[in-house]
Amino acid sequence: MDDTGEAKRQPPIDPRLLEVLVCPLTKGPLEYDREASELISRKAGLAYPVRDGIPIMLPEEARKLED
Amino acid sequence: MLGNEEWPAHREVMSSAIEIFDRRVVRWHRDRAARRVGGIAEVLRDIARRLLDRLDDTTQRFTQALDVGGRGVVAPLLRARGIDVVSCDLSASMAALNGGPAVAADEEFLPFAPDSFDLVVVSLSLHWVNDLPGALIQLRLALRPGGLLLASLPALGTLAELRQALTEAEIALTGGASPRVSPFPDLRDCAALLQRAGFALPVADVEDLQVLYAEPLRLLHELRASGETNALCQRDRRVPPRALFPAALAALPETDGRVPATLRLAVLTGWAP
Repeated sequence: MDDTGEAKRQPPIDPRLLEVLVCPLTKGPLEYDREASELISRKAGLAYPVRDGIPIMLPEEARKLED
Repeated sequence: MLGNEEWPAHREVMSSAIEIFDRRVVRWHRDRAARRVGGIAEVLRDIARRLLDRLDDTTQRFTQALDVGGRGVVAPLLRARGIDVVSCDLSASMAALNGGPAVAADEEFLPFAPDSFDLVVVSLSLHWVNDLPGALIQLRLALRPGGLLLASLPALGTLAELRQALTEAEIALTGGASPRVSPFPDLRDCAALLQRAGFALPVADVEDLQVLYAEPLRLLHELRASGETNALCQRDRRVPPRALFPAALAALPETDGRVPATLRLAVLTGWAP
């Protein structure tokens, strides 16, 4: 269980954004975790937060993936 | 190098080594400005409108645009033209003003897939970027072949009056001067940058705008409201002498009791091959 308390009421991403967004560091694909309100870049090992429907595609704001 | 107004030559060779702008500070300034930018929306909208007028020079129809740093005024103007818009800004609060799909993104590390848009519009938001060639290349890659980049940025000559007044006042007060106005690129550099970034038919031209202020302090307030306060890495981090800004503002040249501020707008157009 991670701290998704803040994320629970987060509005979803506009589907048009999902079509055009990639990881800013690797330019690789992103997975959208709607529950956690995060966009995950496996290649970079980073999860970018989505706040109020706005993806924050800034590496310094991203959560490092554990595995 | 910062005292010299030229855009540093051979940037591409050293781009990884040179940090002219403190991007954390740029982001913070834009966060702060997001709350006040509504107060100067008219000026920003006027500048954006001039830029978008260029779309009428081409017969091409655009359907999907990326708005970079439009401060809440560019996206609605594009939508009024029937164009679908995605907006991005270094500040999430500023991005949220655009009233459509929006992303917080760094112009130096853009998060957009290749061939995503047929139009990219950047109104007055490329001049705080350290790696301008790199940013332009990434914007070109986000465009589909035949897509258009339309950008405006302040060129050399912008805020020349303020720069001179501040330098002279600081020398008079402290015997030295520190950079308080950004280095701006000159027009020739702009066209060369587009070409280097791989754009076809690159064109850079200039429009001079002069804003007259009855109350000189208002110029500084408006710059702050647009997020345009000093973010140079080499900025003097000490609190400026109390007398500096009053002395500089008093020294600005006057026209009919009003103080002019020049905005030399470089308009850049280039096509993705």
